[in-house]
Amino acid sequence: MSRQSQALQSIRFQELVGSRNAPASDSALVSCEDVARTYGSGLSAVVAVHGVSITINPRDRVALVGPSGSGKSTLLHLMAGLERPTSGRVSWPALEGDPTGRPGLVGMVFQGPSLLPALDVIENVALPLVLAGMVDAEAQSRAAEALERLDIGGLRTKWPEELSGGQAQRVAVARVLAGRPVLILADEPTGQLDEATGAHVVDVLVEAADELAAALVVSTHDPAVAARLESIWRMRDGAIKSVSSSHADSTGGAE
Amino acid sequence: MIGLWTRGLVLRRGGRLLAASAGVAIAVALLASLGAFLTASKSTMTQRASSSVFVDWQVQLASGADAAAALSTVAAAPGVRAALPVSFGSTSGFEATTGGSTQTTGAGVVLGLPPGYATTFKGSIRLLSGSLDGVLIAQQTAANLHVAPGDTITVGRPGIAPAKVQIAGVVDLPQADSLFQKVGAPPQSQPVAPPDNVMLLPQQAFTQVFGLLEAVRPDLITQQIHVSRSHQLPPDPASSYTAITAAAHNLEAQLAGAGLVGDNLGAALGGARKDALYAQVLFLFLGLPGAILAAVLTAAIASAGGVRRRREQALLRARGASLRQLVRLAWVEAALIGLTGGALGLLLARGVGRWAFGTSSFGATSSETLRWTVGAFVVGLAIAAVSVLVPSIRDFRQSTVAGARVVLRRARSPWWMRYGVDLMLLALSGLLFWVTSRGDYTLVIAPEGVATISVDYWAFLGPALLWMGSGLFAWRLALLFLAHGKGLLTRLVRPLTGQLASTTAAGMSRQRTVLARSVVLVALAFSFAGSTAVFNATYQQQAEVDARLTNGADIAVTESPGVAVGPDAAAALMSIPGVRSVEPLQHRFAYVGADLQDLYGVRPATVAGATSLQNAYFQGGTAAEMIARLAKVPDSILVSDETVKDFQLSLGDLIKLRLQNGRTKQFTAVTFHYAGIAKEFPTAPHDSFFVANADYIAKATSDSTVGTFLVDAGGQDIRRTAAAIQGKLGPSATVTDITSTRATIGSSLTSVDLAGLTRVELAFALVLAAAAGGLVLALGLAERRRTFAIASVLGASARQLRGLVLSEAALVTIGGLAAGIVSGWLLSQMLVKVLTGVFDPAPEAVVVPWSYLAVTAAVAGGAVVLAALMAARRSSRPAVEELREL
Repeated sequence: MSRQSQALQSIRFQELVGSRNAPASDSALVSCEDVARTYGSGLSAVVAVHGVSITINPRDRVALVGPSGSGKSTLLHLMAGLERPTSGRVSWPALEGDPTGRPGLVGMVFQGPSLLPALDVIENVALPLVLAGMVDAEAQSRAAEALERLDIGGLRTKWPEELSGGQAQRVAVARVLAGRPVLILADEPTGQLDEATGAHVVDVLVEAADELAAALVVSTHDPAVAARLESIWRMRDGAIKSVSSSHADSTGGAE
Repeated sequence: MIGLWTRGLVLRRGGRLLAASAGVAIAVALLASLGAFLTASKSTMTQRASSSVFVDWQVQLASGADAAAALSTVAAAPGVRAALPVSFGSTSGFEATTGGSTQTTGAGVVLGLPPGYATTFKGSIRLLSGSLDGVLIAQQTAANLHVAPGDTITVGRPGIAPAKVQIAGVVDLPQADSLFQKVGAPPQSQPVAPPDNVMLLPQQAFTQVFGLLEAVRPDLITQQIHVSRSHQLPPDPASSYTAITAAAHNLEAQLAGAGLVGDNLGAALGGARKDALYAQVLFLFLGLPGAILAAVLTAAIASAGGVRRRREQALLRARGASLRQLVRLAWVEAALIGLTGGALGLLLARGVGRWAFGTSSFGATSSETLRWTVGAFVVGLAIAAVSVLVPSIRDFRQSTVAGARVVLRRARSPWWMRYGVDLMLLALSGLLFWVTSRGDYTLVIAPEGVATISVDYWAFLGPALLWMGSGLFAWRLALLFLAHGKGLLTRLVRPLTGQLASTTAAGMSRQRTVLARSVVLVALAFSFAGSTAVFNATYQQQAEVDARLTNGADIAVTESPGVAVGPDAAAALMSIPGVRSVEPLQHRFAYVGADLQDLYGVRPATVAGATSLQNAYFQGGTAAEMIARLAKVPDSILVSDETVKDFQLSLGDLIKLRLQNGRTKQFTAVTFHYAGIAKEFPTAPHDSFFVANADYIAKATSDSTVGTFLVDAGGQDIRRTAAAIQGKLGPSATVTDITSTRATIGSSLTSVDLAGLTRVELAFALVLAAAAGGLVLALGLAERRRTFAIASVLGASARQLRGLVLSEAALVTIGGLAAGIVSGWLLSQMLVKVLTGVFDPAPEAVVVPWSYLAVTAAVAGGAVVLAALMAARRSSRPAVEELREL
């Protein structure tokens, strides 16, 4: 499929889900201002994220790296609107508000298995589209297309429990692509995949983000995956300690 | 490790543990409550049966026996409180001249009573008018002779001149049947009715009147010793019966041929043991399904966490836990649930006892209560073991670590569905029902005089198999619908889910095993609630019918013998506050051949207004039709089935009855035409009676005297109105009200606190229905919180999530209620038919307590919807733990 036809499809999808879901062209997709997220209270409180101020703009390509427990997943959840900050502010200027409950704006690939066990593969992939109001037949055709892109069209009638971890992860990626979001957040999407498959999945994510003019944020431990993206944000102890890009490294918050 | 695991279970799975414990608690509470009630009611039955007997034993002395020696033997027998000698003399007849006419009767019986008899055997002689000191005459004899206290009667003595006595009082002998029994004769040789003509003389007077006769005709005089026993009896009527019968045999052995024991107390206990068996049967029919349902519920709750448990087991095994360690952990979980549930259940049972019966022990003795408490607790532990331990152990043995990771498997039809077990159960149930309900089938057999009693337990199988078969059949239908009816399901859920209908239907189809189980649980719970409620309502209605049949109306005013009151007296009663209408009912005695029977004269146009006439009282037509026959052809008469058989009557046959003429006081023949069969009639005895047109009887006998006035008080302030009537009429009439009658009539089964039992059962049924719907669905949804979290993360709105869960809730509620209504209806019909012996009289149709059923349906549906809405609300923003697992 050509870039032009995919862009057209993207526009049609945006039309379908309504104009309020279309990003305002130059605004930031996500803006975090001095955001902190703490679990629990008192002595047992765990600070997952603190003092993070970042902005994700359309077409940004960000790798979020850091050791386990450094707050990467929490930051992604905050950006997706799945968690509320305990202090600071998260906003989505280009999306005109919180994207939760508005399918098609933010697509998230999770670390673990995230397919609905009660639905088969094609139904799983089509689900965000149906949730957005697309008719079943069209949603399934889009889902089939996304599966083909990831070379897993043969899995369409399988049940989630019949898939290997890698296959399930690729189906989850296909589900995000089918939704054609403006912001793709992927939480260690290659963690369960072998090197070659992982590389293929990252290729597909980057290509899809390019085609959709979407921003892509990937949390990863894998330096090879991180190297595929323009910016690398290093997290430690809940804070972004450094930002590296193709130009130069810096420390502190990223703007 | 066990301590760590237990701590984790309590902290992390506390809600689920509590839910499973609640299932166990319901079963334990239900069993403990009903068990305690059963023993308490048996004990009540024994007490009531023993207190209903005034003369416990009648020892008939053999002719020529040494009366004094026999008396001392009887008095010395263990358990005997008092023993008094009573003489029985036969008279050729009585004669009295009153109001210028002379009345004579046929042969009769005269009793010689020692001083203090009436106080020793309280209740055996009921004074209607006059005084107890002196010569007493039975009510019917007084009516036949037209005598009142103060009149003189001539007592015929065969072979010697008659003697004259002056009447001091008119009495009723409530237990005339047993008083005049043929002691030692088998039941079939007993007299059909007590003698019509009875006089009671003080012992001294008896000696004066019959002393001479004894010398001439000793065969006409017999001696009895009447015995009052201690009523300290075992609580169970069957045990009491055995004890009393054995004591009677022992006494006979001691008397060594000098006397035979007429065991009235044993006979009463014999009747009560039958009722006790019925109570036991009711417990089995109505209580056990509830306990089984609670057990199934517990199993369902436990299995709702099956996926989680298998996953945890797989993890533990992967980390090196041995099979023995895993079994120990499963034991811990089962023990936690069993012990918590058992303790909660016993607390609940105490509360229920206090609420329904005012005592936490339900009136049972402490040892019985303890027995049931321990028993119910053990059953609770067993339920926990079967529902938690057994599946865990099965999983250990059958699944592998890799297999346990599989969350959902390809659905395969359950084995019972493949072999058609549900259909077989239904067919078998129908067959058993047909076999056990045809002909003269009797569920409980307690032959008179035989210690062994039996219940036809086969009859249980009909309803039991129907309950199980209909549950499984509902399961089959739900599975088939969810597997193959996706198109229809999509259309049905569209109003709730809109665009997501197809996806929702696909998900529901995939979850069909869990959903079908919930549907079946709701169906079984509703079926249990429905059949119990219908049975209880029908029972209560029949108990009321029985009370109304005995008393006749709200209030019955029976004129005393010798008091002649015409129908016009109704106007005076109407003026008493609280009286809404008064219906005069003639009561006469009529001879048909040599038989004396009760005759009731009714006003066909108005009789149905004051009393309730059910179609079941008549044979060959409805109540209205039969009464209309009396109106249309005034000389029509309704007779009992027995009379029709005895006299080979056909419709339209002429019947000549001899009735007393009001003017001449002579019995003259009056012709009637047989118009139908009356099996029951208000105030009439059970066996033989006639019902005819009051105007015709009045005209034919020149006598419009009314025996009883049936007073309708509109069901309000009955006692107060009855007291007002009694106050106004004084001793000239006996006033009985239906509230007192309710407490005294019928079998001891009616008199135990069935209202309390009904409350207990219906409350449990309600709780089970709510738990079956709400709890099981809630746990099923909780188990799929992750699913809803994913849907939410993918962008599902709160409305869409609500639609998803409400679709499941709607299926569970509507499917479950529909299946429950059908099986509940069938079950009620079967229960009422199988338990016909419990009802007196048998019901015309079952009574459906719509309001209770509506409340149950609303509660079950409400619980399901509430569970669904709470799940949807929780899922709209997933919890952090759920996100972490993604």
